Amino acid sequence: MKVLELKEVNKIYDGSEVHVHAVSDVTLDFHEAEFAAIVGPSGSGKTTLLNLIGGLDMPTSGEIIIDGTNLSKLKSSQLIDFRMRNIGFVFQAYNLIPVLTAKENVEFIMSLQKWSRKERDERTFELLKAVGLFERMNSRPSKMSGGQQQRVAVARALASRPKFVLADEPTANLDSKSATTLLEIMEKLNHEEKITFIFSTHDARVVKMAHRVITLEDGKVVSDDKRE
Amino acid sequence: MIWKTAWKNVWRNRVRSLVIIASVTIGIFAGVFSIAFMNGMIAQRIDAAINEEISHIQITGKEYSLNNDPGIIITHHDSVISGIPKLPGIAGTVERTIISGMAGTATKNAGVQIIGINPEMEKNIFTLDKTIMAGTGDYFEKESKFDLALIGQDLAKELNIIRYTIDSTVLENLKIKKIPVNTLEKLNPIAGIRFTNEKKFKKSINSLLSKQESKKYGYQIKNVAWSFREGSKMTLTFLDKDNNQVGVVFRLAGIYDIKNTIYEQSMVFVKDTDLKRLTGMDKDSFHQMIVRINDINQTEEITKALKDKLPEYEIVSWKELQPDLAMMTDYVHQMYAFFMAIILAALAFGIINTMLMVVLERTKELGMLTAIGMNKKKVFSMIMLESVFLSVTGGVTGMIVGWLTVLLTARNGINFAQYAEGMEAFGYSAHVFPEISASFFIMITLMIILTGVVSSIYPAIKALKLDPAEAIRTD
Repeated sequence: MKVLELKEVNKIYDGSEVHVHAVSDVTLDFHEAEFAAIVGPSGSGKTTLLNLIGGLDMPTSGEIIIDGTNLSKLKSSQLIDFRMRNIGFVFQAYNLIPVLTAKENVEFIMSLQKWSRKERDERTFELLKAVGLFERMNSRPSKMSGGQQQRVAVARALASRPKFVLADEPTANLDSKSATTLLEIMEKLNHEEKITFIFSTHDARVVKMAHRVITLEDGKVVSDDKRE
Repeated sequence: MIWKTAWKNVWRNRVRSLVIIASVTIGIFAGVFSIAFMNGMIAQRIDAAINEEISHIQITGKEYSLNNDPGIIITHHDSVISGIPKLPGIAGTVERTIISGMAGTATKNAGVQIIGINPEMEKNIFTLDKTIMAGTGDYFEKESKFDLALIGQDLAKELNIIRYTIDSTVLENLKIKKIPVNTLEKLNPIAGIRFTNEKKFKKSINSLLSKQESKKYGYQIKNVAWSFREGSKMTLTFLDKDNNQVGVVFRLAGIYDIKNTIYEQSMVFVKDTDLKRLTGMDKDSFHQMIVRINDINQTEEITKALKDKLPEYEIVSWKELQPDLAMMTDYVHQMYAFFMAIILAALAFGIINTMLMVVLERTKELGMLTAIGMNKKKVFSMIMLESVFLSVTGGVTGMIVGWLTVLLTARNGINFAQYAEGMEAFGYSAHVFPEISASFFIMITLMIILTGVVSSIYPAIKALKLDPAEAIRTD
């Protein structure tokens, strides 16, 4: 089942002094439960493409359709609501809320969606167990390692059962062991929850585990390898 | 969750939050205590005016107030007048005979209003009987073959009836009042000298003490050093009903002290029966009926009812007699709200500054929150709640500290003895008992919340303008 569709997407930053064609004529489809990596050198447009897919930025031309909804047609407030319900985000620098515990960070998005306390607790415990941090649920991010924080971030991204999760360089700040653990967890959740993962990366380990590798150069898709 | 997150965010930078909370606490405490102090002063003034001077409503004959013509009288023969005490809302009435005259002693004279009263009846309306200075006599309690008069402390000073002497008893009493011995020793040159007037006594004290000592202890020394010869006499001169001048020697029944210089200097009380006998007035006639009502808040309503009922009389409420006090009563809450608004406006700038720093520091986090789906309304609410929590935490602490201070100071009052003369000249007691009402705290709480909300608007707008994609990339 197709969850995401990009049709001839272009993004041009046209300033007074610079003119950058960050994403150029990208046309891609993503299906349910895909585990896809977007790779490419720095400045190839990976982050821009993820921002466009996540509705954090709007394409200069082309269409991005998520589960039948064209993002360009949504108003700003509708777009925020749409992101909340359909897209999970994992950031390179974890970006957890430092004053909240692991449990509170995970349930934050569910409380924004007005889930009941019981539903929130069930889902939070389920995810924290899945990422191996059930015992640390009452710890604040400052008391956790980078790898643990990123696992909490993955749990948060999955909390409201989005259509797909976008992860921008999720292992960039992690040591080798933590990165491997994180990737294994992500792959397991991808399999169990049937949620599509799309991540930008430079990390060869991530690329190795990905079921599909999309290579960008100068904003263009130069290869799209699907592995079985 | 937003409430919880906002509350936790307040304590993210503990020192900064505590600084702003402390400033709000100090501001609110200062506001609460200042207002309790002003409120106490005003309440005491109104209380004194009602209970000691004018009561709630005064009824006189038409145009009596134009020139206090003693010929304009009221009589018991008017059934409407005699029926007033039975009207609803009326606590009691008392009648007064009022004559203008002169009070004189061997050395001084002063223009006064001589008021004929029934001392027993007056006790139901006024508390003047409780203001008699110790050692000066009583409130017409003792029987006397002489005509008796009750005068104010300031008139007694004016007529040189009060004298001042520094003797061993006075020095002992001053020691008890903790006036330093070396200060008291400076008074030795005037020990035993009897000063017949206050000005001369003050001048001598000032010449012996330093300026600072005079300012600090002068009032206390004067209050202890005065003396009064029981049975002192004075002459009251006035016109009788046939406009013949009458001069009668009165012995002093006592001296009252109500902390209102003008009133004390001009009001002399004598027994109504004595005054009527001396002026030849009919025993059923009088000049003024004083009406006390059960509830001060019904003043206007009852005054209007009486005006409708007695169109041929002049009826004035305490609000018309003392418009300054009426204005204070009617607008006191607006005055307090304005005063607090100024304090809170100053504090708001501190809160705005803090919240702007918060938004600047948390750009990345706010971007992340918007990215994951926190809408503008919720981002705004979170910033607003943080601002409200800051102001309310400081505000509530300030109110508690202010309230406790009011409780502590209200027990014994705050005595500004050194400013007593100035304050009493305006009718205000120098011994102030701060007081504050629960409704005032409700008003301040609402104002504090409003300050928190208003202070958050600009920082919250700044937060809403953040572009999530750019904000997330911020270091």
